[in-house]
Amino acid sequence: QDRTITGTVYDINTKEALIGANVQIQGDPGGTVTDFDGEFSIQARTGDILVVSYIGYDAFDQEITAGKDNYEIGMAEGVLVDEVVVVGYGTQKKADLTGSVAVLDVKDMISQPTADVANQLQGRAAGVTVINSGQPGEAPKVRIRGINTFGNNNPLYVVDGVPTDNINTLNPNDIESMQVLKDASSASIYGARASNGVIIITTKNGEKGKVKVSLNSFYGRQVPKKGNVWDIMKPIDQANLKWLALKNSGKPLDDAQYGSGPTPTLPDFIQPNGASRDEVDFDKYFINPKNANDPKTYRIVEANKEGTDWFHEIFNPAPMMSHNLSVSGGDENSTFLISGSYFDQKGTMINTYLKRYTLRANSKFNIGEHVRVGENLALSFTDNPRTGILSEGSPIGMAYRIKPIIPVYDYYGKNYAGTFGSGLGNAHNPVALAERTRNNKGHSKKVFGNVFGEVDFLKNFTFRTSIGGALANGSYHSFSYPTYERSENTLSNSFSESSWYNINWTWTNTVNYTLERDIHSLKVLLGTEAYHNSGREVGGTTQDYFSFDPNFTNLGTGAGQKSNYSYGYEDALYSLIGRVDYTLNQKYIVSGTLRRDGSSRFAERNRYGVFPAVSAGWRISQESFMAGTGNWLSDLKIRGGWGIMGNQINIGGDNAFTTFSSALSNTFYDITGSNSSLRLGYRKNRIGNPDAKWESNINSNIGFDATLFDGRFDMTLDYYRKDVEDLLYSPELAGTAGTSTPPTVNIASMTNSGIDLFAGTRGDLTSDLSYNLSLTFTSYKNEIVSIADGVDYFGQTSLRFSDPIIRNQVGSSISAFYGYNIIGFWDTEAEIEAANQKAQQVTGNENTEYQTAIGLGRFKYEDTNGDGIITPDDRQILGNPNPDFSYGLNVGLNYKDFDLSVFFYGVQGNTIFNYVRWWTDFYPSFVGAKSYTALNKSWTPDNKNAVVAIQEDNGNFSTNGVPNSYYLEDGSYFRAKNIILGYTLPVNITRKFSSTNLRIYLQATNLFTATKYSGIDPEISGSDTSFGIDAGAYPTQKEFIFGINLSF
Amino acid sequence: SLSEDVLATEEGADALLIGAYGALDGQNLGAGNWSVAADNWIYGSIAGGDAHKGSDGGDQPNINPIERYEADPSNGFFNDKWKAMYEGISRCNSTLTVLGKVEDISDDARARIMGEALFLRGHYYFELKRFFNNVPWIDENTEDVKQPNTTDIWPMIEEQFKTAMANLPEVQIDAGRANKSAAEAYLAKTYMYQKKYAEAKPLLENLIASGVTASGEPYGLLPGYSMNFNPEFENGPESVFAVQFSANDGSGGIQNSRQGSMLNFPYTKWCCGFFQPSFDLVNSYRTSDEGLPYLANYNQFPVKHDMGINSDEPFTLDDGPLDPRLDWTVGRRGIPYLGHGDHPGQRWIRDQAYAGPYSPKKNVYRESQADWAFDAGSWAPGTAINYEVIRFADIILWAAEVEVEIGSLDKAREYVNIIRERASNPDDFVKREDGSNAANYVVSTFDEPWTDQETAREIVRFERKLEFGMEGRRFFDLVRWGVADQVLNDYIDSESEKIIYLKGATFTSGQNEYYPIPQRQIDLSTKEGEPTLMQNPGYN
Repeated sequence: QDRTITGTVYDINTKEALIGANVQIQGDPGGTVTDFDGEFSIQARTGDILVVSYIGYDAFDQEITAGKDNYEIGMAEGVLVDEVVVVGYGTQKKADLTGSVAVLDVKDMISQPTADVANQLQGRAAGVTVINSGQPGEAPKVRIRGINTFGNNNPLYVVDGVPTDNINTLNPNDIESMQVLKDASSASIYGARASNGVIIITTKNGEKGKVKVSLNSFYGRQVPKKGNVWDIMKPIDQANLKWLALKNSGKPLDDAQYGSGPTPTLPDFIQPNGASRDEVDFDKYFINPKNANDPKTYRIVEANKEGTDWFHEIFNPAPMMSHNLSVSGGDENSTFLISGSYFDQKGTMINTYLKRYTLRANSKFNIGEHVRVGENLALSFTDNPRTGILSEGSPIGMAYRIKPIIPVYDYYGKNYAGTFGSGLGNAHNPVALAERTRNNKGHSKKVFGNVFGEVDFLKNFTFRTSIGGALANGSYHSFSYPTYERSENTLSNSFSESSWYNINWTWTNTVNYTLERDIHSLKVLLGTEAYHNSGREVGGTTQDYFSFDPNFTNLGTGAGQKSNYSYGYEDALYSLIGRVDYTLNQKYIVSGTLRRDGSSRFAERNRYGVFPAVSAGWRISQESFMAGTGNWLSDLKIRGGWGIMGNQINIGGDNAFTTFSSALSNTFYDITGSNSSLRLGYRKNRIGNPDAKWESNINSNIGFDATLFDGRFDMTLDYYRKDVEDLLYSPELAGTAGTSTPPTVNIASMTNSGIDLFAGTRGDLTSDLSYNLSLTFTSYKNEIVSIADGVDYFGQTSLRFSDPIIRNQVGSSISAFYGYNIIGFWDTEAEIEAANQKAQQVTGNENTEYQTAIGLGRFKYEDTNGDGIITPDDRQILGNPNPDFSYGLNVGLNYKDFDLSVFFYGVQGNTIFNYVRWWTDFYPSFVGAKSYTALNKSWTPDNKNAVVAIQEDNGNFSTNGVPNSYYLEDGSYFRAKNIILGYTLPVNITRKFSSTNLRIYLQATNLFTATKYSGIDPEISGSDTSFGIDAGAYPTQKEFIFGINLSF
Repeated sequence: SLSEDVLATEEGADALLIGAYGALDGQNLGAGNWSVAADNWIYGSIAGGDAHKGSDGGDQPNINPIERYEADPSNGFFNDKWKAMYEGISRCNSTLTVLGKVEDISDDARARIMGEALFLRGHYYFELKRFFNNVPWIDENTEDVKQPNTTDIWPMIEEQFKTAMANLPEVQIDAGRANKSAAEAYLAKTYMYQKKYAEAKPLLENLIASGVTASGEPYGLLPGYSMNFNPEFENGPESVFAVQFSANDGSGGIQNSRQGSMLNFPYTKWCCGFFQPSFDLVNSYRTSDEGLPYLANYNQFPVKHDMGINSDEPFTLDDGPLDPRLDWTVGRRGIPYLGHGDHPGQRWIRDQAYAGPYSPKKNVYRESQADWAFDAGSWAPGTAINYEVIRFADIILWAAEVEVEIGSLDKAREYVNIIRERASNPDDFVKREDGSNAANYVVSTFDEPWTDQETAREIVRFERKLEFGMEGRRFFDLVRWGVADQVLNDYIDSESEKIIYLKGATFTSGQNEYYPIPQRQIDLSTKEGEPTLMQNPGYN
C-alpha cells in the first residue's frame, strides 16, 4: 500500500540541507527532488528502496521499513570520476585531462587563517612551493615546479577568465574552485605568460533555490615566539666577552663603560659614559629631539643591567579577526552572489598590520535558452604597513644588533635611549625605529572583474566574449624623523608622498565546438585575446619641517629641498588561441593547443611567438583486458605531454634602444663652482638590443592518475622536465663598456626536473567515524645550464662580506651559497708554521702565508684544489636553499558532530645562510649584541673543542671577513600548520532558529615546528637569485582562533 | 631617456660633457661610494701611510687588506674603481661621438668641447694607469670593449693632454672647466710620473710664469694654507683642476656633496670615524726649534698623544715646535676643530685602541659654513668642499723635484721655500678663541744652501708629504719615486707598535706598487674561453 514518505536530505559532514537531490523509488522512472530545506515527500510502500542521488555525492539507498514514514538521509561526498575541472578557456572532465593539473581542495585550503590565497596554497598542491613570512600582507613566494628564470617567477593567475599577476586582494571565501596548470599541455594555451605556471580561479555564484546567507567569522590571538630567540647574552656577559676579545688581541683591558682592570663592571649609567649615580648631574638633563647636536644636550641613560629583551620589545601578542558575509540565490533564469569581508590582522611587530575590506557581486542571467550574460565584480580596500624583513637595517635587524645594556627609554622615560655613548655600537633602537613609522599611512584600492556573454548557435557552437581587468590605485606618505639617541644620528627630517594608478584590461573572444558521436568526442576552441596594461606613479620629498605634526606635514609645508618624480608605463599583448581535444571510446585521448602571442615588449623583428603543446592519455582501466581488476581499480590513466611555454615579462619596453638620460645624482655637475647648484648633464644609460625575444620553456611531462577501491584511494604522480632556453639575462658588461644598463639578451638556459605526487584516501571507520587523508609532495631540481659567453656565474648579496654569499653558477642550482669550507681551527703554532712552510715552498716566497690572516684559534679553510695554499679558487658551493622536497599532509576526522583536521607542512634538505650569526657570534662584527656562543663556545687555548673562531678585537679573512661554512645550517622543518576542532550543532537544533548550519571551531596554527635550525624561523624567503639568507626574519607566530560558520 | 640624434646639437654635446665631469666624483655609477672617492683616501692616503682605515675592526673590511698590502683581486673595491673610471671614459667617448655628429656649431665651441673631453679622458686614464698600470685603451673608435691590457698607455695619456692643450681656451666659460693651463699641468704631471723631467721642466716653468685658472686669474698660492680646504676660497689662484662639489643642490642626497668622503668625520659628532691619521704622519710635522723638519728620524721626537686617555681625564697638549700645517691636516685632542669646539679626543674616536687617537680634517666643513657647505641629506655628512686634483703647490713642488734631478739645487730650495713661506703665515695658524695660537707653531724656510742632491731630494719629497698630507697623493708619490718598498716597510715597523693590526704586514716590492686587475674584470674579458686581460705581477 502506497503511503506518503517524507524526509530530509543533508550533507553528512556539513549538515547542510541538499537542495534539488533526486529521490526515486528503485525501478520506478518517476520521482521527486528535495526542496529548499532539503525535504521531500514521495509515495512508497514498505520494502521499496529509495534511491537518493545528488551530483558530487555517493548515491544512497534507503529501504522503507514498516511503521517509519520519515527518513533523515545523510549523504557523503563521492569521488568524482566525472568531476569537471576548469582549464584554460574552458572546462574538461577530470577523466579526460592529459595535462598536469592540480585541483585544490578549496575548503581545506581556506581554513588557513590568512588574507592571501597565495599564502594558503602552501603544501596544498603538489608541484607548488610557497614561502611565507609571519608579516601580515607580506607577499609570499609562489613557485610552480621550481625556478624558471633569473627574473620574475610569479605564476599567472586567471580569475574568472581574467589574467592578473596578483591575487592578494581576492577574498578566499569567494573562491569556488582553484586549479594549478603545471605543465605545457595544460598551461601553454596561455602562451607568452605560461612559463611560470598558471593558477585558475573561479569565484562563487549563487545557486538555484532559496536565498542563502552565510556568515564566517573568526577571532584569534597571535603569539610571537617566546624565549631568547637569538641567544643574546646578559649585559655582564657582553662585558666579559669584550674582556676576552681584548685579552686575545693583546689589548689593554679598558672601556669607558666597563672600567678597567681584570674584570669588567657594569656601570649604573651609560650616559654619561660609565657614570655612577653621583656623577650624573640630573639638573642638566636636556634633549632636543630635533637637533642631536644642540649644545645644551645632556643625556641621562641608566644601564639596564638585566638586559633589554629587544625582540619582545617590538614583538608582542596581537589580535586578528575576519568576518565574511555572503548572500546568494537564484532562480531558473538568474543567479547572484553578494559577499563582503573584513579582515584585520595586527602584526605581532609594532606598527605592522593588514586591514582589508572586500565586496563582491557576481551574477548570471539566462536570456532565453541560448544566451547567457553575467558579471563578476570585486572591490577591495587595503591598508597594510609593513616593515623590512631579512634586512640588518630594519627594526628586526636592529633587535639582534643593539646591546641589551641599553634600555628602551632614557632615565626620565620621556625620550628614547640609544647607542649614543662610548662603546655602545651604532645600531638603532628598534622600538624607536618602529614607532617612528606610526604616522606613515597608505592604502590601495582595486576594482577587479569582468562582464561576459555566451551564445549557443547552430547546433554545437558556443561563442563567448568577456571583457575584464583591473583598475587600481594607491597612495602612501611617510615622515622621516631626525634622531638624537644614536651614535650616528640623522639630523635632517623629510616628508615623502607618492601615488599611483594602474589600469589593465583583457578582452577575450572564443568559439567552442563540441561534438559527441558514437565513440568519438571532439572539442575545438578558437579565440583571440587582447591585453593592455598602463599606469603612472608620482611622488615627491620635501625636507626640513618646522613641526612634525602629521596634520601639518605635507609636500608644500617643508622649508627645505624639494624633489619629485613621476613615470608611466604601458604594454600590450595580442593573441590567437586554439585547442583541440579528441577522445576515442573514452580510452584514448589526444589534445593539442597552439597560441600565437604578440608582445609590445619586443622590437618588431621578434614581436610574435608561437607556443604549441600536445598531449595524450590512455585510460587503461577502460580496456577490456583490465576488466578483472574492476573490483579494486576504479580508474587508471597514463598521460604524457610536451609543449613550449613562453615568458615575456623579464624585459622592459626600452630594451631595444640605446638611450641617454640625466640624473641629478649622477650626471649633473656644479660646473660653475657655485657650491649649491647643478648644471644639466647627460650620459648613455642603456645599450639597446633590438634582437631580444621570448624565453621559451620546453616542457615534458609524464604521469598517471589512479583511483582505487571504489574511490577510497586516489593518487596522481607526475614527472617533468623543463628546459628553459633563450633565458633573458643582462650579462654584466666588461667594465670598459662603462656602467650603462646592459641590454637584456636571450643567452642563458636552465633546467628543472622533479616529481609531484598527490595521494588521498578516505573512508568510514565506523558508522560515526569517517576519515580522510591527503598528501602532497613537491620536488624540483634546478640547474643553471649556461649564463653567457665567458660568464659562468654571477654573484649576489655580499652584505658585510667582501665577497658575495650567493653564486649562481653553471652546473649548480640557482641561489647557491658559495665560500670557504671550514675544516677546523688552527690549534697550535706548529700547525700554522707547517702549513706556511708548505705554502712558501709552493710560491717560493718566504712571506707567504698558507691562508690570509692565519692565526691561532681562527678557522682553518679547506684547500679544495690541493695546491697547498688558500686562494679564491678554494671557494666552493657550500649549500643550496632549494629544498630536496616539500610536503603537506592533511588529516581529517569526523566523529558524529565533531570534525578534526590537522595539517602538517614540511620542507626537507634546504640550507639556510644564518647571517644573524655574523653579528652575534663574532666580537669584531661591529660593537653590538653578542651571543652566548661567542663567549662560551669560541676557541681559546683551553677550549679547542670550539664551535666558533677565537674572539678578537678585529675581524679578518680567517674569522668573519668572508662567507664561509660557519653560517650554513640545515633549514629542514616540519610544522603543524593548522589544527582545527569543530562542532556542528545537530540539524534539529539549528532548524529551530531557521539556520541550516551552525558550526563553531577552535583552531591553532603553527603550534609547533620541528627543526634543527637555530635561527628564529626556518622559513626564509628572498629573491629567486638570492634567497635563504636569514638576516632577521619576521617569524611566523602561533595563532589561537575561535570561529563560527553560520548559514541560513 | 633620449636617443642619440636628439642630443646631436651643441647643447646636447655640452650636456654629455657635463655628464663626463659628473663622473669625476665616482658616485652613483653602480660602483660603490667611498671605494671610488675622488680624493683616493683609501688608495692614496691610507696605503701611503698617511692614515689608517679608522672606525672599528669589522667596519668596511675590504679596506683592511688594502692597508696591509694583502688585497686580492676579488676585493670589490678595485672593481668599483675600475668601473667608475671606465664609466668616465665612456662618457668622454659619448661626448666625442655625438660632437662628431653636430653640424651647427662654431669651430671654437667644437674645439673647446673636444679639448675638455680629451682632458677628462686623460684624467680617467691617468687614474687607471697609476692604479693598475696595465689597462686597456678604449676610445670613441673602439668597437670591441674587450681589449688587452698589454700596451703601455702613457703615450696615449700624453696625447690626450697635448691635444687638449691645443684646443682648449685659456679662459673658460665656467670656473669648474678644464682650461689650457690645466691640460698643461696634467701633461706635466704625466711626465713627472714617468720621470721625464726634461719634458716636464718647460711646462712647469711656463705654468709658474704664466699659467692661469679657468677664470683667467694668474696661478699663485693662496695666502693661507687652510684656504685650500675652505669652500669660500675655492677655484682661486691655487686651483689648477678640482672636482667641484655642491651641497643642498636639490638632488635630495649627498651624491654631489663629496659622498666619497662621507665616512671620514669624527665619530658620534658625525658618522663614521674613518680615515684616522697615522702617528707617523703626525710626527712628521715635528720641527726643530728652528722650524725645520726632521727628515728621517722624526719618530724619535713624537708628538704627545691621548691614546688610552678618556675624554674626561686630563690631557696636556704637546708644547714642542710643530709645523702649523699639522693642525689643518689632523684633528687631535685639545685643538680647535673648525669651529665645532676643541677636539675632545676619545669621545670622537670610535675605537682608539684600534686605529689611534686622530681624526681627519681637510674634508670637514667649518661650523660657520654649516648652512651652505654642509648637506645633512644622508646618514653621514656631505660637504661642498672641492677636491683639488692639482693645485698650484703641486706645480711648485714638481718644479722643485725637477730642479733636484736635472737643474739647480738652489732653484729647488727656492721652490720649497715658497711653499714653506706660505705655511708660515701666522694669520693662518689654528687659533683659539682668545686669538692665541693653538699650539707651538714654528716653521721656517731653508736658508742654508743645499749641497747634497740626495738630501735635497729627501727634503723636497718630505715637503710634499707635509704639504699634501691626507690629500690622496702619498702612495702614488712613493711609487713613482721608487721608494715605496723601503718607506712603507719602515712605516709598518714603527707604526705597528701602536696600531697592532699592522703587525706582520709587508709591502712586497714588485707587486704592491700597483693594485691587482679586478678578478671580475678578468672574468668578464673572456673571449672564446680565454680572458683578454692579464693579471698584474704577484697577484696570481
